[in-house]
Amino acid sequence: MSVYIAGWGILGPGLADTRVARAILAGEKAYRDDGVRVPRAEGLSANEARRCPMSARYALDVGWQAVRAAGWDPKKAATVLSSASGDLEIADKNCRALAQPPIALSPTVFHNSVHNAAGGYWGIATGSLAPTTSLSAYDDSFAAGLLEALTTVAPDQPCLLIAYDLPPPAALAAVRKITAPFAVALALTADRPPGACARLSWRWGRCNPVTDACMAESALEGLRVGNPAARSLPLLRALSARQPEVFWWGDADEGALHVALTFEERGSTDRHHAP
Amino acid sequence: MGTRPARDAGPVMEGECAIIRYTLTSAFGRGLVANRAGLVSGRSALSPHTLADGTPCMVGPVAGLKDVVMPAALARYDCRNNRLAQWALDADGFTQAVAAAVRALGAEGVGVVIGTSTSGIAATEAAYRTPAFKELGALPADFPYRETHNVFSCADFVRRYLNLKGPALVVSTACSSSAKAFATAARLIVSGVCRAVVVGGVDSLCDTTLYGFHALNLLSRAHPKPFGADRDGIAIGEAAGFALMGPADLFGGSCRLHFAAAGDSADAYHMTAPHPEARGACAAIGAALKGAGWQPGAVDYVHLHGTGTTHNDAAEDLALVSMGLGAVPASSTKGAIGHTLGAAGVCGVVFTAEAMAAGFLPGTANTRSPDPRFRSHLLLLGRPGPIHRALVNTFGFGGSNCCLALEWRL
Repeated sequence: MSVYIAGWGILGPGLADTRVARAILAGEKAYRDDGVRVPRAEGLSANEARRCPMSARYALDVGWQAVRAAGWDPKKAATVLSSASGDLEIADKNCRALAQPPIALSPTVFHNSVHNAAGGYWGIATGSLAPTTSLSAYDDSFAAGLLEALTTVAPDQPCLLIAYDLPPPAALAAVRKITAPFAVALALTADRPPGACARLSWRWGRCNPVTDACMAESALEGLRVGNPAARSLPLLRALSARQPEVFWWGDADEGALHVALTFEERGSTDRHHAP
Repeated sequence: MGTRPARDAGPVMEGECAIIRYTLTSAFGRGLVANRAGLVSGRSALSPHTLADGTPCMVGPVAGLKDVVMPAALARYDCRNNRLAQWALDADGFTQAVAAAVRALGAEGVGVVIGTSTSGIAATEAAYRTPAFKELGALPADFPYRETHNVFSCADFVRRYLNLKGPALVVSTACSSSAKAFATAARLIVSGVCRAVVVGGVDSLCDTTLYGFHALNLLSRAHPKPFGADRDGIAIGEAAGFALMGPADLFGGSCRLHFAAAGDSADAYHMTAPHPEARGACAAIGAALKGAGWQPGAVDYVHLHGTGTTHNDAAEDLALVSMGLGAVPASSTKGAIGHTLGAAGVCGVVFTAEAMAAGFLPGTANTRSPDPRFRSHLLLLGRPGPIHRALVNTFGFGGSNCCLALEWRL
């Protein structure tokens, strides 16, 4: 089954949104790490926004970008949230509280410690009852999330993939290297969007030796290897440049998700899925 | 043969998603014999515990984990959660069954999907209490974060321990984690990515959950009484369960237990409280019924999420009645082994499978009188009875709901 990318979202250092990122990734504008825009917790009440942790804000921000670009009602899309390490600020807070008598955890910090906190806030922000899952495959989390999203997509079942990771707090910095915050969202659908669009065909296979697609620009390559969610950057570069390309995301043991990206022009609807 | 799922039913599972082998280790003990005996006995395996502030509660620990010896090559994975995983994998010949599946299908064809909520965070909790941490203010570079604390650790460990080469991932959606792991595993099989999947749920006792649920005032002070009139909260348990999902004829002969469908939904309401009209739970149950192609009247048994908290049980009762399942015999096992959080889904699957195999409708350990306001059909005591079609409910923080439909084919 072919899957189409109906829209995408991005937030990272020097990559404030899809408009900015598309120009940089297509090579029209030089990349400059000029800091990260503060993510928006759109759709949450003031109370919920106050409780919403930074990791979930990144997820919400890119998720809204992607559904807007796709012109989707977010209530209709299933969601897959993928994060290699979740929110380590939250884990750090809980572990500190547990190490310091008298032990008293914050109820809010505790409920924000679940790996699906971002998925929960997405549901609250959008009012969507659609299926949602949250997963991790450590440094291979982007590809694992993409695989889960690709197997979730079905006719009349679009799926929004959101991948995010944030640098750890100081106490965990030596044991988990994530160098910069990064989040990405892909709006995936089996129903061909109108007009020109990007199409993915995919399979799971072997890959030996694994050779990851790299970013030519050294700072972007640093971001790609420094954040598991940014393993998506080569795909976003090809999307931005409208350049057909085949990607392999290898895992730790010679398995790989193979994805071929192609582009269809306006009006070529012959590949519209069978009903 | 069972009804084939409707084509338009969303993430439909069918065909080769048989549950070929399974095992469970919980507070009842290690392996299926101990767990089936515990289920049929109607007794509780919970034990008293006192929190640091003197608050009494109950817990459901698994005995024997101190003596588990992990392979030298996987020494960095040594933590309570992965010990529990290994202890459970080596029961009931499960590890050997997976090896046979690998011989038949190839290691590349067998994936791993594990549900867990807290993984091995207990290792980090302990490290934060050491004098070295207090001095440095940070964990040392050689601390095995990736192999213990990280949420993927358990699937990584299981994949290496069983020498599998298919895709591996962890589903972590709080208390629905391992139920949703079944749904993900079925998608991997139906899409042709995997021929078989080792599905599991592993969650071990840790202070984050004990003191976290205490902070939310959700721990029972005495003994959890799911759906009971006098219920006052949960007891936290630990468990590891695994299932080998794949073609029914993998080992020849017939495999009777089939994964019929999963229905999942979000509450879109609150991070910890269920929707008062149980709209998310109803959506999940409705999707499971639709996916399996079942009318509510065809269901013989519901394994409840049944945590024992005031609001969760009320919402689940309402969901059952709203979805036309009010007359279906239902029970909770959380008064027996506690709430095993990310492992609750696989506990529900294995207890339901054992009940199907034994022709036994399980009771609700420790609940004496059901909440008189409830209208669903709670089984207080177990009794003989056939189960051909069953639902397993799980509802988690973040409003994550998952209902699994299991079928016992004659």
